[in-house]
Amino acid sequence: MGGYGDVQCIDENGIRLDGRTKDEVRPVHIETGVVPVADGSARMTWGLNDVIAAVYGPMEAHPRKIQRQDRAVLDVRYNMAPFSTTDRIRPGFNRRSREISKVTAEALESVVLTELYPRSKIRVEIEIICAEAGTRCAGITAASVALAHAGIPMTDMVVSVASGKVHDIVVCDLNKEEDNYGEADLPMGILPNTGELVFLQMDGDLSPEQFQEAWDYNMVAAKVIHEEMVRALKGGDE
Amino acid sequence: MSIPLVPSLLRAHLAELAAEDKRHDGRDRFEARDVELEINCLPRAEGSARVRMGDTIVLAGVKFQIMTPYPDRPNEGGLMCSAEVRPVAGRNWEAGPPSAESIELGRVVDRGIRESGCINTEDLCIIPGEKAWQVILDVFAISDDGNLFDAFGLAAIAALRSATVPAERFEVGEDMPLDVSKTPIMCSYHKVGGRFVYDADKREELGGDERIHITLGDDDHVHSLQKGLKGIFTAAEFAEINNEARSRCAELRDMVNNALEGE
Repeated sequence: MGGYGDVQCIDENGIRLDGRTKDEVRPVHIETGVVPVADGSARMTWGLNDVIAAVYGPMEAHPRKIQRQDRAVLDVRYNMAPFSTTDRIRPGFNRRSREISKVTAEALESVVLTELYPRSKIRVEIEIICAEAGTRCAGITAASVALAHAGIPMTDMVVSVASGKVHDIVVCDLNKEEDNYGEADLPMGILPNTGELVFLQMDGDLSPEQFQEAWDYNMVAAKVIHEEMVRALKGGDE
Repeated sequence: MSIPLVPSLLRAHLAELAAEDKRHDGRDRFEARDVELEINCLPRAEGSARVRMGDTIVLAGVKFQIMTPYPDRPNEGGLMCSAEVRPVAGRNWEAGPPSAESIELGRVVDRGIRESGCINTEDLCIIPGEKAWQVILDVFAISDDGNLFDAFGLAAIAALRSATVPAERFEVGEDMPLDVSKTPIMCSYHKVGGRFVYDADKREELGGDERIHITLGDDDHVHSLQKGLKGIFTAAEFAEINNEARSRCAELRDMVNNALEGE
């Protein structure tokens, strides 16, 4: 590994380190039923990302103070397994995973018909088994499939994807090097049937034109990923 | 883990079956569920394994760190084994700090591996008194349908035996296989309906009594024992399951050896 400055993420022909062009999505594969004891589950591999989501419920909400009289609460946990990254992650409390759990819950609450299950709880567990880049996006997407697999009523599934910028070039679906050495990251949670958004974050530096380009890449990528989500739920590889 | 109310009906049902020498899923007393073992399945780990026993699924991953040897043992590295059952694995596993059950699991698995002496901590020394390898073995439950102990034990030793020391990444020499000289294997027996059965599933765990975990090394040497939960057992009962454990451990050890040869 060289220093910070000499990682060339895109060559002169516009080919990225993993062989993609700037508008390509990493290979995506989804399967359901991977946690047999859960009410619904999904595994998503996306590039080197390997994410498992499991759904339990609707079930009794306890402690009672978390109950809501008019709707179900979504209890979402995003966690990275200790062996999911190059340097081991210490198990336990972590500010990053807390924040991601929170924004994921809020994205999913926007589509789940929680008012159908007052005073109950739906548990959504997202475990990152192997991380490349964009694990929060993979987590939200896998959790949407797991909720659908559990038969939880939703207005739409959420497809989440992050585009960004590296060496001043806007690229679709950032990989690990682009995430580490790039200049911007724009993760979005998109409802594929309407093009509406339920999740949005961004950090870095984008001009108005670059921002629009990254936005458009995400919209196109969401369609590709949505096809795989539907395929998995309709029987997948069988 | 929160203990769900155990319907007395389940206990009674399991006891009735036991009286006819049957199990609720049709298995014989010492019959195992199908076991799948896959090694090197986690790209970011230096060694890894995935084990499936029925609907119980676990992963184990090995990572390495550089540590400063302890002053009283300047020529030795370290081995750390940690087991986690996160709420993804079942509706009764809760979030928060590790429960007593989950800590017991980790410690029993750790003892079986550590006490077998399969890893010589002196081999992990890089520069005496300055640098040594710390081997960290993390075992992780994906789905708990009973007998996590055996699944954890099998995944743990298979992951260790598949591990490569990442010396090049840490710039301390060339990558090499981790030297693991023995293959300790755990077998667990649960008292269900008044007699011990092998490889209990979740229902048998919930409707059963005490459990005994036996870890045997090569040549049938005993490396760890643990009795868990409330219950009384006799010397004759122990002798019977200990004898059963010998043949089952040998079968599982062959399975690990075959998986590694297939690499």
